[in-house]
Amino acid sequence: MSEKPAYTKPLPDLRPEDATFWEALKEHRFIIPCDDAGKPFWYPRKYAPGTLNATSWMDATGNGTIYSYSTHFMGPSKAYKGDPPHIVALIDLEEGPRMMSILVKDEEGYPSLDHEDVTIGMKVKLVFDDVTDEVTMPRFTPAG
Amino acid sequence: MAEGTPDVKEARRMLAKGICIAGVGETEQGIISDRGSFELLAEVTKTALDDAGLELKDVDGIVTAFSFVESTLMHSTTLADYMGMKPGYFASVAVGGATAPLMAVQAAMAIDAGLAETILCVRGDNTRSGISSSGMIAMAREMSHGAYEAPFGLTTIGGYGLLAQRYMFEHDIPQEALAAVVATQSEHAALKWNAMLRDVVTVEEVMESRWIATPFHALDCSLVSDGAAAFIVTTAARAKSMKKKPVYITGIGEGFSHQYISQATSVASVRDGLGRAGRRAMEVAGITAQDLDVAEIYDSFSFTPLIALEGFGVCGPGEAGDWVMEGHAKLGGKLPMNTHGGLIRQAHLGAMHHIVEAVLQLRGEADDSAKTEFNGGNHQVPDAKLAITNGSGGILAATSALVLSSEPPSAA
Repeated sequence: MSEKPAYTKPLPDLRPEDATFWEALKEHRFIIPCDDAGKPFWYPRKYAPGTLNATSWMDATGNGTIYSYSTHFMGPSKAYKGDPPHIVALIDLEEGPRMMSILVKDEEGYPSLDHEDVTIGMKVKLVFDDVTDEVTMPRFTPAG
Repeated sequence: MAEGTPDVKEARRMLAKGICIAGVGETEQGIISDRGSFELLAEVTKTALDDAGLELKDVDGIVTAFSFVESTLMHSTTLADYMGMKPGYFASVAVGGATAPLMAVQAAMAIDAGLAETILCVRGDNTRSGISSSGMIAMAREMSHGAYEAPFGLTTIGGYGLLAQRYMFEHDIPQEALAAVVATQSEHAALKWNAMLRDVVTVEEVMESRWIATPFHALDCSLVSDGAAAFIVTTAARAKSMKKKPVYITGIGEGFSHQYISQATSVASVRDGLGRAGRRAMEVAGITAQDLDVAEIYDSFSFTPLIALEGFGVCGPGEAGDWVMEGHAKLGGKLPMNTHGGLIRQAHLGAMHHIVEAVLQLRGEADDSAKTEFNGGNHQVPDAKLAITNGSGGILAATSALVLSSEPPSAA
């Protein structure tokens, strides 16, 4: 395996209640939380939003549709200086919940998708980006 | 006036005490590197006291916000100590851009509860000069979820961008509609003595400025500024002995939609969540959007007032862009909006300046022509009697709105 450059972008805040989620991503499995009636929700929490009932995890396909996006020509910190624009998107997952991620062309270095190639309603699928030995981030690329 | 639900009646009962704003003040805005945060707050407090004809000892309550520069968990009492006050009521409000109208509501409730009679509401900071880059990053991160948003490089601008792009997609809104908000407000800021940006810009110039995060160009975004503003809340009975004609708070309302932008259900649900604040404030005041003379609407980005105008019922869903492009938001239009230039052209201090400007409008004091040293002009809406003003915290997450009136509530 070739040496990867150090990852300088912000890493997720890790809390005990969503350790299972990040562990699964590390194994390249995508799971989402659901409430005691089996209804999936986002973002992960120990207690179900609205009822505070028990929650569990379910496998998700990683297939989704772009609800909206914003091409960022300026990042939130110095770590983004000199980077090409990145596209932050809200993705409606096939299972229902909406999550945020960034859009990439492919899994060869995960370069940002070009602004001209994004539309609202576009089909996308989840890919796994092992950004450090400990953390795998979900990204989305155009489906098929 | 329609009878109203019990909560609306209770709000009217409180405001029928004649709760009013009796004095306002604002400092210069922009880059003020020779003064610290508390210094600015003391300076503007003096201005507001002078405006009302009061001395500091006449004030028995203080409501402040927060500082990005001076770290204190007890902002209101820290400032009280700095200014040499012993207030009987104190509170620090921190709900981002919704803070200023909530400060007025907090003051009204404290007066109603008998905790104080005359309350200083003051906010200011040297955000532009005093903040460190790590402070700026922390401020940006505040708006996004630490695990499921921030690691994707979301900025506050981009968070608004996500909602704005969906709004434009659903209602087929052109980029020109956003730019028209900026162009309109630039005409107003050109007349306001302390606005940071005094040049009038065209729709084309806005769209030619550099991209920050789609659909926003640099000129679509609000400013980062140093400065302070204050208003003094009291009762009509107390205001009688003061210098200026009181401006009454006749409506209050709040609305919440989501905290994180990825949790916003739809454009309609966001419009409804923030819209509730304005609609409820108008219901309490017993008026409709058609009765308004002037609107000082929170404008963190050019898109922000569009969805608020729709949420408040000034325009139908998706119609605010045409409304602004047709000139109805300009001075001389059907409902002049952000007659001080707003966050996009005057300065960014949450909604503090929106409240101050609404008060000046309703007193008939929004003509800055006499301020020749600042090249001021006349931005007064002739005979303005009723104003709506609001602030939104987060990415249109939490909204608070006030209806202000030159006349006391009918039951008072």
